[in-house]
Amino acid sequence: MSKKKILIFDDDTTILEVITIIFEENGYQVEISETSHDILERVSSFQPDVILMDNWIPKIGGVEATKLLKNHEKFKTIPVIYVTANNDIVALAKQAQADDYVAKPFNLDDLEEKVAKYLN
Amino acid sequence: MNKQNTHTEMVVIGGSAGSLQVILEMIKKLDTGIPFPILLIMHRKAQSTSILPVLLQQFSAMEVIEIEDKTEIKNNTLYIVPADYHLLFENKKIMSLDSSEKMNYSRPSIDVTFKSAAEVYGEHLVGVLLSGANADGVEGLHYIKKNNGTVWIQDPETAEVDYMPKHAADKIDYDLLIKPDNLANFINQL
Repeated sequence: MSKKKILIFDDDTTILEVITIIFEENGYQVEISETSHDILERVSSFQPDVILMDNWIPKIGGVEATKLLKNHEKFKTIPVIYVTANNDIVALAKQAQADDYVAKPFNLDDLEEKVAKYLN
Repeated sequence: MNKQNTHTEMVVIGGSAGSLQVILEMIKKLDTGIPFPILLIMHRKAQSTSILPVLLQQFSAMEVIEIEDKTEIKNNTLYIVPADYHLLFENKKIMSLDSSEKMNYSRPSIDVTFKSAAEVYGEHLVGVLLSGANADGVEGLHYIKKNNGTVWIQDPETAEVDYMPKHAADKIDYDLLIKPDNLANFINQL
């Protein structure tokens, strides 16, 4: 069975490194990006099953990056989980048209549970 | 192993690129009730958030604390040096943060903390250098040896980025080459 694929957009390399280690240990294929400048190319080439999107991702920000995907004919069905420490997380996720959200700092088990929800 | 008849009062671990996986593996296997503190000095981007302790805590039986200025030192605690500060030991009870110039292009610098720890803990210190891409930590390990401490280096063949441990293993009269799987076991036996 092919591995489920997660694409993570976050500018914090520590978060990217930890999440990558944990998800790869649990059998996922992970790709990371510290910027959203080539988001359409990254999504097109990797074909993720789910995307984790940080609010502060450099270049166009998480809201615009998610909207770009959600308004794209080819990518709009890929689940996007919005990730932020911002108190307005619900409003931001809604504005971005994200499918779900996770507050930072997150519990890794909760994060994995939420990702799994969109893969089943 | 540590020197016979010498009890350990502090373990300092330095790492850069490729070290986080080793650290995660280690903290999952550490015994509960470790009778000394463990300090992590990792090269991180200056704007790194404080989420690392929160993430590591999820794997650790020990309390994980990101150090603030004048943090009191307690046993059975895992301390993390924050991004963009050097960490110095004032004595065996208090650590302080320092924002002076980068050393080896790094802040925190592993050398700075290793040297400070060596001066304070002498033969009661264990210094560990993990995977990484620059020479930070090598001079610090030399200083730990000079002060009769114990030096462990990650076996360069097991390192994701071998420059740092290879450089150290070539230059330092180390006590042990560590494989990632065994690091926690050796700490548990101290």
